[in-house]
Amino acid sequence: MAFYVAIFGYVLATVFYLGAMNSAREWMRKAAWMTLVAAFVAHGVDIGWRGVEKVHPGTSVRESLGFLSWIVVGAYLYLSRRDTLVVLGAFIAPLSLIILAAARLSPSGEAMTGLSSLGRIHIASATVGLAIFSLATAVSVVYLLQERNLKKKKFDGLIFKSSAALETLDTLSARLVSIGFPIFTFSMMLGGVWVAQLQQGWNRIEYPISAITWVAFGVLIAGRRLRGLQGRRAALVTIVGFFSALVVLAIYLLRRTMVE
Amino acid sequence: MPSEVLVVGLSWRTAPVSIREKLAFHDDELCASLQTLLSNTILEEAVILSTCNRVEVYACTSKSAPASGVSQAAALVRSFLAKSRGFKAEKLSEYLYEHVEMDAVSHLFQVASAVDSMVVGESQILGQLKSAFGTASREGAIGSVLGRCMERSFGVAKRVRTETGISRGAANVSSVAVELAKRVFGDLAGKSVLVIGAGKMSALAARHLRADGAARICVTNRSLDRAERLAAEIDGIARPWENLELEIANADVVISSTGAREPVLTKKLMKRAMKLRRYKPCFVMDIAVPRDVEASVGKLEGVYLFDVDDLEKLVSENLKERKSEATAATHLINAEVALFETWRKQQHVVPTIRALREHFHQVARTEVERAVQQMAKQGTESERENAMRKLATGIANKLLHTPMNALKNTDHTEELSQATHQLFSLSESGSEADDGTTKNAALSKVSGHKVHKE
Repeated sequence: MAFYVAIFGYVLATVFYLGAMNSAREWMRKAAWMTLVAAFVAHGVDIGWRGVEKVHPGTSVRESLGFLSWIVVGAYLYLSRRDTLVVLGAFIAPLSLIILAAARLSPSGEAMTGLSSLGRIHIASATVGLAIFSLATAVSVVYLLQERNLKKKKFDGLIFKSSAALETLDTLSARLVSIGFPIFTFSMMLGGVWVAQLQQGWNRIEYPISAITWVAFGVLIAGRRLRGLQGRRAALVTIVGFFSALVVLAIYLLRRTMVE
Repeated sequence: MPSEVLVVGLSWRTAPVSIREKLAFHDDELCASLQTLLSNTILEEAVILSTCNRVEVYACTSKSAPASGVSQAAALVRSFLAKSRGFKAEKLSEYLYEHVEMDAVSHLFQVASAVDSMVVGESQILGQLKSAFGTASREGAIGSVLGRCMERSFGVAKRVRTETGISRGAANVSSVAVELAKRVFGDLAGKSVLVIGAGKMSALAARHLRADGAARICVTNRSLDRAERLAAEIDGIARPWENLELEIANADVVISSTGAREPVLTKKLMKRAMKLRRYKPCFVMDIAVPRDVEASVGKLEGVYLFDVDDLEKLVSENLKERKSEATAATHLINAEVALFETWRKQQHVVPTIRALREHFHQVARTEVERAVQQMAKQGTESERENAMRKLATGIANKLLHTPMNALKNTDHTEELSQATHQLFSLSESGSEADDGTTKNAALSKVSGHKVHKE
């Protein structure tokens, strides 16, 4: 039940955010925010309910995906308390909708058997890290679109009219990455220990790819601190890092499906 | 005859600038002109609104004006406008429009909300209207009707401004530059500005940036003299021309408007400056013609270059947006006009209500006075009771006398008796016997309550 309320809420919030992009009406903005809050609460209830039924976010990739979109929305709501991040909302709401629906529909639903608590913490923390990265990525995408508008002098687009300023987006993305990175690093370390414990060898394709994710975000943070990396390039690195993480996720999902 | 609102005037829609400038009123002429207008007994209130885009006289006829008062008043204002500026009445009439009552109110609301302005959604008109209203108030040219009308128009303007996007987006080149800079930086607080060249346009843009919180403004020019003069004017710092590269490296916003024939800001120079500032974003505005900045500068990473054409383009984009919002504003205004109309209708009956109340109290007072005098002479309880009954009957009879005569001697028997039924919520005569008892019971209850209270 709560699941359907959440789905409906995300659909409605998407509509409102798109509407708010296209008009100056204050109520539209408020309505968008409130619906997203409602969807977020419903989604949280759904996760809690499934938790009671022993289906934790850490038990499978599928559950962790749903959990991921929930954190993304929560983080977005927190960020958009004061700043008007309408365009970002118009990205986040449909994104969460798709992730949640895809996660629920994907076949690899059953909890993995014999998952150690180490594995669970690894999955859960990786999910939180990725959720924060995906928000940073959405911000970076908006940044790139808005920068393009400014460089090409395209003043009539919806994004141009309602997006936040470039510098605001850049700072926001940087802040998100610097929060997500330590969590992700922690998860990577646990993952390493876990793989060593399993003693199945290191020759799986997802290991080097997840290393790419870690390196990309590491380079991004170091570059920002030390070399004045920012703006367009920083946005591109963020997107590369995030997509390599997505590939890892996809491999997990596919492998579980094929094994079954 | 109740008073009526009217407006007579011309605007950029109906008259060319040559006519508008000739008709415009100077501030210190306004008082005398208002007095001239109000010296006619037919007019009771007046406001003269005179801006570069419109000259309008808002007026309200007096209550004593005859039935055709409002058209007389309009003719009077027309001839006043023509006479005061030496126009031939017929010639001026070509350009003038006039609106009466709710059309006039609607027009006023549209003017105040800048829906009728040349630059839709501009903010000056409201200030001008308020100042015209202020002048008229000081001259005692404002009464209850026009005063209420004007005050309501300020409220409507505020609603339109906040509830529609009519004022969204800058509408002139120098403020559009600020809008664009905000698209890059979000907040201009703490940003530093470099002005290259000491032209008028750059001073204007720099002032806009300063008003929006820019922290430091430097001015550089080939002649340091002129740089210093402009710097003093806009509270900035003058810098020698030789330091251009370093100054650019230190500036978040660069405004260039020199008279140079060749580009001042080349790609090479900008590249070096960007390296110096570690590729922090730099907003460059080139308002010179011919242009000061090489177009290829805009391709550099972190540089956002806009020239005059770009600024104009954004202005026209914003204006297009504002015009489409004007439709929403019109809906809002119509609703407000309807509210105002209701108020006006209520106002029309106020004098009647006041007179009726005055009349009833007058009758009651006279009768009570008489009764008090009589009661002073009478001693016993029953005599006093009698006097009380007489008093009540006396008041009722006095009040009934005139309406009863009117009902008997009228040509419109049907309408008047219907109106009487409605006014006093009388039941049909047939049913009186049935509920007479209950009514009496209710009445005695009420009076008993009253006596107790007294």
